[in-house]
Amino acid sequence: MKLYQGIDIVEVGKFRKILLRNINFTTDIFTEQEREYCLSRKDPYIHFAGRFAVKEASMKALGIGLSGSGIDHAFQEIETIPGASGKPVLSFSGWVGKISEKQRINQLTVSISHSSNYAVASVILVGTQ
Amino acid sequence: MSQNIISEEKVFNELKKAVVETLRVDADKINPETSLIKDLGAESLDFLDINYRLEQAFGIKMARHFVLEHIEEMFGEGTAIDENGQLTDKAVETLRIRFGNGVSELKPGMDMDEVPALLTTQSMVRGVMDILDSLSEKCSKCGSSGWESKDTVRITCASCGEPATFTNGDELIKEWLTKVQEDKKIF
Ligand SMILES: [Zn+2]
Repeated sequence: MKLYQGIDIVEVGKFRKILLRNINFTTDIFTEQEREYCLSRKDPYIHFAGRFAVKEASMKALGIGLSGSGIDHAFQEIETIPGASGKPVLSFSGWVGKISEKQRINQLTVSISHSSNYAVASVILVGTQ
Repeated sequence: MSQNIISEEKVFNELKKAVVETLRVDADKINPETSLIKDLGAESLDFLDINYRLEQAFGIKMARHFVLEHIEEMFGEGTAIDENGQLTDKAVETLRIRFGNGVSELKPGMDMDEVPALLTTQSMVRGVMDILDSLSEKCSKCGSSGWESKDTVRITCASCGEPATFTNGDELIKEWLTKVQEDKKIF
């Protein structure tokens, strides 16, 4: 068994500014389900920031760097949706899914926390390699 | 079509402008060898913002998938990244051709996530120039082949004013990889 961990913190104010300045940001970075969930909340930006932190934390855990352009499709391939108990559930697809398969990862856990200024996510992956 | 309406210098200046606005650093700290991540401490949100600014300035679409991913897509799983997430010999050979031998720290067995910090502003400028050089021969609206740029960043048709269209970054990487494979038979 091998453990992989990643953690990331996002400054909500800075995140919000960049999101609002670039009209394609939410559709480039977040999945449809993530957008639906965040936009249904009272303060969508905090939830978008939390999910962005999950994407960064997952990439750190997997050892994936950003692509050359920075507007990386990998962000779309890391999805957090609310599970039955309300606890967030993390899943990978596409290229990120392939990297995770290479490392024989079979369990994913995520935890998100935020204040009004910061969002934090921690991701732990378990591999059988 | 290789274009000579927008120069490499112009692209570098736009990149500098984007970096100064996003990272709030002095413009004279930015030279062609600067790595935004390693030297200027850019985090991925900054990187995103800088690239969006370039896309908006030039009316282009940059690659959403990294070269390594395109390699595996085209030449098979395991050709670029091994089971430990490290670069293969062939991946390094290809990246050296793409980013020049200036990226001397590139070596086989390197972790995939070490690569972005090696990329310099020069490689970003090259990426934008490649897209601008995919300018179509003729205007899609009126068929004229005269292009111009009134504001020095956006290319438009000199007869009807229609904005120029370019191939997107991912398509260009695929075309490039096909050509490199034909020439060098790496994979
Ligand atoms: Zn025209």
